[in-house]
Amino acid sequence: MMTKLLTKRYPGMRAWLMQRLTALIMAVYSVMLFIRILILQADSYEAFLDFFQPSWFRIASWLFWISLSIHAWLGIRDVFKDYVPNMQMRSVLLKILVVLLWVYIAWASWLFVRK
Amino acid sequence: MKFSIYRFNPDVDKKPYMQDYDVVLEDSDQMLLDALLRIKDLDDSLSLRKSCREGVCGSDSMNINGKNGLACVTKLSDLEEPVVLRPMPGLPVIRDLVVDMTQFFEHYNSVKPYLINNDAPPETERLQSPEDRAKLDGLYECILCGACTTSCPSFWWNPETFVGPAGLMQAYRFMADSRDQALDERLENLEAPDRLYRCHNIMNCVDVCPKKLNPSLAIAKIKDLKFEQAREHKAVAKKHIEIKSL
Repeated sequence: MMTKLLTKRYPGMRAWLMQRLTALIMAVYSVMLFIRILILQADSYEAFLDFFQPSWFRIASWLFWISLSIHAWLGIRDVFKDYVPNMQMRSVLLKILVVLLWVYIAWASWLFVRK
Repeated sequence: MKFSIYRFNPDVDKKPYMQDYDVVLEDSDQMLLDALLRIKDLDDSLSLRKSCREGVCGSDSMNINGKNGLACVTKLSDLEEPVVLRPMPGLPVIRDLVVDMTQFFEHYNSVKPYLINNDAPPETERLQSPEDRAKLDGLYECILCGACTTSCPSFWWNPETFVGPAGLMQAYRFMADSRDQALDERLENLEAPDRLYRCHNIMNCVDVCPKKLNPSLAIAKIKDLKFEQAREHKAVAKKHIEIKSL
């Protein structure tokens, strides 16, 4: 319901809210990551693999990545809107960005899913 | 004192150029506007706007050593030489330091900068409590000089769609007014993605405002109000669905 409302009636607010929500998720994850680094002190490749072993941390990392991708999409889209006045060029750049972000999401998903 | 001033007369010049002036100032010349009038005595072809000479009318806003400000309240002693003067960026130049502010005032008009109250006028004034009146402090003082809007990159890149900090602060000035009855209408008026949300808190507006106002804060408050409005609409819509399903 909220999504429908925001999409139809508040198209401007939707992007603004989404940017803040994803920033919040990234901020929480970053603090959590920092604390884990301090506690676990992963100083070897094996220790680093163990660092990402717990399922809850993989899900959190995946959520972080999704948030980063959405945040990047909204931010870079605005940059293109400001600095690329040529509509054809902007359209091409936005398409490249979408493909790139989906590739990164797919890659990150594969990394977090594999054992 | 040395000055380098942007010159452009569309009737004569093919493109703008910078003209240097070296002017001897009197002891009474304390502000930049005093020096500009001294220069104008030497070269009356120089065009600039001015009126009140005390930071109230907002006519003599210009780009002073790279930062927008009012010539009449800028102390000469604070300026590095040569003082580089240009018209405010982001608006078409009419001549020299005079810009065409039509776009700026169109955005200002678009936010309906006047009280909307459909009640019959009372016999006396529409009264406000001191607390409600205090909510307008920091908003009503805007002199519409345009220094903030023309220093905003979001306005430079989207001059036709983004209202700009001055217009948005005036929009909030009436949203915050307890006597106004058009809050919903005012919020809806700013919903198009580029009208309000092109503000990315760059804060140039706060940095340059000669009246030390904070348009960025006013814009953030509008965004909060819009969020509240969306939540209320959601609650109303939910209630509507509940009634329908009964």
